Amino acid sequence: MIEVKNVTKKYGKFVAVDNISFTIQEGEIIGLLGPNGAGKSTTMNMMTGFIEQTEGEIIINGYDIVKKPKKAKKEIGYMPEGVPLYTDLTVKEFVTYMAEIKKVERKTRKEQVEKIIEKTGLKDVEKKLIKNLSRGYKQRVSMAGALVGGPKILILDEPTVGLDPKQITEIRSLIKELGKTHTVILSSHILSEVSQICNKVIIINKGKIVAIDTPENLENKVNNSNTIYLTVEDPENKTEIITSQIQEIKKIELIKENDDGTKQYMIESNGDTDLRKTIFSQFAKENVTIFEMKKLDTTLEDAFMKLIEGGK
Amino acid sequence: MWAVLKKELKSYFLSPIGYVVIGIFLLCFSVFFYLTTITSGSVDLGALYYYTALYGLIIIVPILTMRMFAEERKNGTEQLLLTSPISIVKIIIGKLIAALSVIIITLIISFVFYFIVMFFGEPNIGNVLVAMLGFILISMATLSIGMFASSLTENQIIAGIITVAFLIISLFLTDISSIFSGIALINFYTSFAQGVISIENIINLALFSIVFISLTIIVMQRRKLVK
Repeated sequence: MIEVKNVTKKYGKFVAVDNISFTIQEGEIIGLLGPNGAGKSTTMNMMTGFIEQTEGEIIINGYDIVKKPKKAKKEIGYMPEGVPLYTDLTVKEFVTYMAEIKKVERKTRKEQVEKIIEKTGLKDVEKKLIKNLSRGYKQRVSMAGALVGGPKILILDEPTVGLDPKQITEIRSLIKELGKTHTVILSSHILSEVSQICNKVIIINKGKIVAIDTPENLENKVNNSNTIYLTVEDPENKTEIITSQIQEIKKIELIKENDDGTKQYMIESNGDTDLRKTIFSQFAKENVTIFEMKKLDTTLEDAFMKLIEGGK
Repeated sequence: MWAVLKKELKSYFLSPIGYVVIGIFLLCFSVFFYLTTITSGSVDLGALYYYTALYGLIIIVPILTMRMFAEERKNGTEQLLLTSPISIVKIIIGKLIAALSVIIITLIISFVFYFIVMFFGEPNIGNVLVAMLGFILISMATLSIGMFASSLTENQIIAGIITVAFLIISLFLTDISSIFSGIALINFYTSFAQGVISIENIINLALFSIVFISLTIIVMQRRKLVK
């Protein structure tokens, strides 16, 4: 469990992180979300003990990161932003070195290093120098470095930045896999990533927490209008007539006429009522064929934009 | 500490740095072997170690130390090191001893000169060992300065220049002004080169190292707050 209590970080007069508090339970996968410069990395650096907060306390599995750094740091595996690595070592040498400085016992060291290299899919390149590896592999090496020593908490700062789509999916599934056995905190500014992987999101803007919730809840929170996209084959233009009979409809708008003769409408309704059923039965009655009907979901993206702008 | 020491020593020899340092050092030894021992026709090796310390360290020490922390900071690997459960003191000592080891390796090779002189007379092995002991101490002191400089910046060149500037003062400017006599490291070495173990000089050199090691520790710990 990680407890962040009233933590503030100041650089001179500039407040990078402003009195944030949150608790992360064991086994959660948390996404730290925010625009660039919001204070994500600063928060992570404080949680890992790389920098010290100006005020407040951070407790990692019962150990204060400032007062008991050695014990607290043993609980954490950290993958810093930009994957810094000792590039003149080979993959195996690097992972072994990480095991040594993380005080993995000599007896189990070799075995553990092997296991982690296997787990992160580095077996084929273990004898290569890190500087000769591709970005995707470097990311894995960095991940291996974080995993070594068996930490219960993984802190990953922008784990998928700079990767190609295939590598991104690979790293994501690796994170998901790790999430089964670890508490994972990752930062990102890619929203789809967070909504896919994480079961809780912390949105930070300008050093302050804007929201903490599950991705679904956040989406629902800002989802206040009910919008439906409807595509129909309607040569006789019955749509307007039909819809005028449904009272809940607030607004209907023709968006485009497709080449195949179908028309796409956007229908907005009042309040919470889901009109899909009504629309379907009414259109069926009038023999108008519905090609497509979908409810517009608010994405995390919308939620994010709204929250960030709301804070201004 | 051993982990850091081992890794640092390895990276000295994975890059050309280790070999360059040993090469330059042996070149210094050879030149001064010619200029002191051979030209004067004496079997005393004290002057050899004295001049190598004087002219060798000023080149060697910055090469060994400038990357110590500056490179880690620039590459960000500092984050890996400082977020691991190993203490800052152990990191610092590990790095320092790794650099010192490179110098010690050269000193071991420098026994060659002792063996050469043995053909021509009977050099005093005690004197040579004392000169080497002093050499290790003065190396330690100068390496501590270099390490401190490296902890101040992420730019290796600046770290190197600070080190060279300090070494010029503490090795060469001793004659110019008495103001510098307190930090005139080379003066502490003179007795060792003459084969005399001076407790006072041992303490002086050790104190010097301790001061700069402590300063490095303070800088590294302070950085947590300001960085």
